[in-house]
Amino acid sequence: MGKGRGKKVPRSSDLNITSMMDMFTIILVFLLKSFSAEGSILTNADNLVLPNSESKKKPQEVNLQVAVTNDMILVDNLPIVPTEDVRKIPADDPDPSAAKLEEKLRACMAQEEEMVRVGALNAVQGKVIVQVDKNIDFDVLFKVMNTCGKVGYNNMNFAVMEREE
Amino acid sequence: MANKPRKKVMTSNDMDLKPFMNLMVVLIPMLLISAEFAKVAVIDIKLPEARGSQTKQAVTEPPKEDKSEKLLLTAIITDSVVTLGAKGGFLPSLFYREYHHYIAKDDKEDFTVEYEPGKVPKHPKTGREMQIYERYDIYLYVCDEQRNTMNRLYTKYNELVTNTAYEPVEKVNVGDTVLALTNPRRTIIVKDPAEFELKPLSAYDELQNRLMKIKERYREAEDGNDIIIAAENEVIYDKIVQIMDKARAAEFPNISIAKLRS
Repeated sequence: MGKGRGKKVPRSSDLNITSMMDMFTIILVFLLKSFSAEGSILTNADNLVLPNSESKKKPQEVNLQVAVTNDMILVDNLPIVPTEDVRKIPADDPDPSAAKLEEKLRACMAQEEEMVRVGALNAVQGKVIVQVDKNIDFDVLFKVMNTCGKVGYNNMNFAVMEREE
Repeated sequence: MANKPRKKVMTSNDMDLKPFMNLMVVLIPMLLISAEFAKVAVIDIKLPEARGSQTKQAVTEPPKEDKSEKLLLTAIITDSVVTLGAKGGFLPSLFYREYHHYIAKDDKEDFTVEYEPGKVPKHPKTGREMQIYERYDIYLYVCDEQRNTMNRLYTKYNELVTNTAYEPVEKVNVGDTVLALTNPRRTIIVKDPAEFELKPLSAYDELQNRLMKIKERYREAEDGNDIIIAAENEVIYDKIVQIMDKARAAEFPNISIAKLRS
């Protein structure tokens, strides 16, 4: 009897990892499902909630991001101008433009043109991804879009959240 | 003594899972980092029509536009009306009542209230004022002049049901042929009227219905893929995105944006 117990003790010291392996395999499958090779190009700013949409179009790599939150307008994640200042631009201005934003965008445009000159880019694309908080009024959106268009960023993409099925 | 070697074989019978474990431990953090849980998409947009005057011209100079065979389809949204205009004419306006769907951050309380300008909705239990970022969805329900919302039938997949003349219906009988608002429209022969549910008619769905009617009739138009969305200053961006969705669902992919001047 005593001999038998002595033999059993070393055997039961093995950890039974079969169930853990099962778990890992399932986790692995789920993670592979949501795997994205591109990584997220868009970075979320604080208090920026994108609207839900049925669009399935994937965002492409772009050089410039403009984010409009309730209190700040950001270009490439750098705060540029308070949204309140943009709201203050008179609504009946036929060509509204946020001066600081325009200045920053012109600098980005100049950089893009420089890259074309050096040969790093083929042509000036004028592409911009605009991330707008879903509670922003159209007034601000229009002024920001007008400013982008004025500088030469004509190719706009609005970032949205894909609706869950 | 003779038993001993046999016992050793038994214990080494287990597969050595250690290398596999090592692989898992490395793979899972790597995949966790690169997993994307909230999927982001984009909507293509053309630039706003210069200073919003384009829509005005389309409205005030119909004879000129008629010659060029252009449709100049415009969806107009203000704080109480959604409507469509084309070639200088307008379809009857859709008056809407606005309901906001909130999900409270703290206790996940889920409720819908009618929006009243200048009034902040309260949490139904604690009476706390709701924050704007807790607003999850905006629903627009079509109403008549007396501001009564209209109930129409929806399928269980939340698709609007129309009759063969593309009018939303209130009642169906067994054997009726109805169409569900998908693109292309799906024909349903009613077997059980209880399968359908009466819900307030959404202005977005009615807009899509009308857009699809227009698409059918003017498929050959020169600018048959274009739509201008004209909005008032106060209109919330979320509504514009919803209208863009409906426009794309009705096959108007070239969306441009204009501003309505009051």
